[in-house]
Amino acid sequence: MRISEVYLVAQREYLENLRTKAFWIGILTFPLIITLGICVPILLARAKEARSFAVLDHSGFLLRQVEEQAAAQDLAAAFSRAAEAYRRGGPAFAELPEALRGLALGLLPLEETQRGKVIEALVRGEAPADTFSLPEPARALLARREALLDWRQQVSAAELKDLDFPQGRYRRVEVPQDGSDPQARLNQMVAQGEIFAYFVIGPDPVAGPQDCKYVSRNLTDTELHDWFSGLATAAIRQQRLIRANLDPRTAQWVQAPLEFAGRRLDEGGAEQRVAFGDKARQWVPLAFVYLLWFAVFTSAQMLLNSTIEEKSSRVVEVLLSSVDAGELMAGKIAGTAASGLTVVGSWAVFISLAVAIVPGLLGASATAVAQIIANPFYLASFVVYFCLGYLFYAALLVSIGSMCNSLQETQNLMMPILIPMMIPLFAMVPLVQDPNGLLARVLSFIPPFTPFVMMNRAAGPPAPWEYLVTALLMVGSIALATWAAARIFRIGILLTGKRPRLREIWGWLRSGEAR
Amino acid sequence: MEERSSADAVVLEGVRKSFGEKVAIEELWLRIPAGCICGFLGPNGAGKTTTIRMIIGIFRPDAGQLRVLGQTDPSLVKHRLGYLPEEKGLYKKMRVRDLILYFAQLKGMAADRARQRANELLATLDLAEWADRKCEALSKGMGQKLQILVSLIHRPELVILDEPFSGLDPLSRDAMRDLILELRREGRTVIFSTHVMEQAEQLCDRVVLIDRGRKLVEGPVEEVRASAGRSVQVEAEGAVAWEQLPGVAGFSSHGRQADLTLAEGADPQRLLAALVGQARVRRFEVRATSLHEVFVRAVGGRRDADL
Repeated sequence: MRISEVYLVAQREYLENLRTKAFWIGILTFPLIITLGICVPILLARAKEARSFAVLDHSGFLLRQVEEQAAAQDLAAAFSRAAEAYRRGGPAFAELPEALRGLALGLLPLEETQRGKVIEALVRGEAPADTFSLPEPARALLARREALLDWRQQVSAAELKDLDFPQGRYRRVEVPQDGSDPQARLNQMVAQGEIFAYFVIGPDPVAGPQDCKYVSRNLTDTELHDWFSGLATAAIRQQRLIRANLDPRTAQWVQAPLEFAGRRLDEGGAEQRVAFGDKARQWVPLAFVYLLWFAVFTSAQMLLNSTIEEKSSRVVEVLLSSVDAGELMAGKIAGTAASGLTVVGSWAVFISLAVAIVPGLLGASATAVAQIIANPFYLASFVVYFCLGYLFYAALLVSIGSMCNSLQETQNLMMPILIPMMIPLFAMVPLVQDPNGLLARVLSFIPPFTPFVMMNRAAGPPAPWEYLVTALLMVGSIALATWAAARIFRIGILLTGKRPRLREIWGWLRSGEAR
Repeated sequence: MEERSSADAVVLEGVRKSFGEKVAIEELWLRIPAGCICGFLGPNGAGKTTTIRMIIGIFRPDAGQLRVLGQTDPSLVKHRLGYLPEEKGLYKKMRVRDLILYFAQLKGMAADRARQRANELLATLDLAEWADRKCEALSKGMGQKLQILVSLIHRPELVILDEPFSGLDPLSRDAMRDLILELRREGRTVIFSTHVMEQAEQLCDRVVLIDRGRKLVEGPVEEVRASAGRSVQVEAEGAVAWEQLPGVAGFSSHGRQADLTLAEGADPQRLLAALVGQARVRRFEVRATSLHEVFVRAVGGRRDADL
């Protein structure tokens, strides 16, 4: 095989692929999907105007309690965010207000459930019923309540919104006091779109929902309704406990769920806390499997198309007077591999750039996901498994292409390849849930599935020997498939008329007289 | 022996080729001297294309020896061969200039040399204004010109044309004929296959007649025609029992007209005398056998033997 000829063929193949729509669709689709997937919900959330609402409170106490609950929620959210920002490090933490920062440092060593309790206690100003069960540092934190309340008093609405507080989403307006019937006035405001909705609280909400209502023109968007009624219910529950002469602490203790803290064993056998990142790490390979599948399949399809073009236009005759069939096939596979790697590489560059640039623009959770995606281990496996998967399917598709005169003709032959190719897609979710289970292991050792399944299991991760053995199996299968493809290609590419039958193909494979 | 091999462009010695069960070439012995125009004649499916594909190294013979331009492995001399297949194809989406460059580089030309040659040839063939258009924009005739250009750009010593005249209009046929003669003038060897005997007769120095994987006749055109004996073309009115005429070895009759092959040593005068007795003779011409007759007789004879 002459390398210069292979190179010439590969070069032409690459440049021609560059001119196809499929190539550019491949390059652009991924960044587009990722950008839309991450940005649109965030932008929509940001663009969403704060929903304004009014409350006509006939009870005289419930509205105030609801507002206190809301403030508590905001603080809880702020603390969690501060703790998360500290855990990840970086500038996000330094930019937080001092009151939150100090607290976050104290909260950090705590478990998620304990953290929730401390936060609740801080906000409410009363220690939870099982304070005694809190570790010492948590109890010490409760002493910081004064400083925190000061901060909460002074903080501006804009700052709250920057901290991504839920409070930013809703804005309560006062019921106009102009002497007219307030309810008629509110109806008018809703009708004219000045406010989204209003709540009416009956004179005795503790007794029952008598005279309580929610009025809006839009009853399909229940976000505001659910948020407000959730807070109101919590407040009313407290009141009912008092009315029933039950100690709220006792009641709280009775109601408290028994929580089992999640722990993950690391490779060394040490217990690890489960953080948000772990979940994402588990699921991110899924995205990679999809992309891998898409990249392998579109690249192999490009190769199939160009093979059929050469065959059906009969260019191949002239080509073969200059290059050997093996050189032609090798050049085509290599050229299309280069186009596929260009697409995949452009994705990798995009992700790395996104991770470097985006954190400033997007929220914290997007950054965390982006960082996991940019994990060099994942990216490297992705590129390696792309090459392995592509080479395997390229050999299959180039032989199919060499036997058919049109794309329609390929369809019957593609079926037996496409159906097994779907299996790793169907198995994706079970494999993520049990990346080292029996199904995952068995599928890993079936070469057509190896690239997708091993990528799928990356969060496991599989044992080094599994990587080694599956890779060797894969390389062996590629060699076998390429050997067979070379024999089929030599003869098939020159055949015209009817597609060869399976028995004939078998004959080509067995006899060395392929050329 | 060394001298002979350098004078022969192509030598086939007992070459066989089969595809699975099907035998394409049974056993072929051939010698094509350098600098001549050699016609491969034979009916469809005779094995002409398979032979050509073996000569340019697309197929490898199962048995026997093949020597092309002095090499037993044709892939070593690919850069010195030019090939124009019967079914001519181009990359539709490629620009004309890129296409020429690509094929020229595959033939071992350096990129800048190829570019220069491409411009020259595009100008000679009046294709210069199409250089930056895509191949799909070319008309059929222009596409064929481009094909020829591509197969000759590297100035090959041996040019192989598979059915170069098929599908050409009369003007293009003449142009193709001139091109083939021009190639010989330049000292190149030309092999072309055809089943149109008149062309072979006009153009070829040598012919090889193949049928069903076997060589039937080979040699210089004059010898081939002479060895087949003389023939007589007759136009006569009336029912004639051609085969009973004296000295007739074979005949093909087209109504009033017939081509008669004379047996060895037969006297045309006696034939004419016998003919006059049977019918009214309008025309009687004694001449060397045409390739067409040689072909029909050789192929037909074999077919008859099979029956």
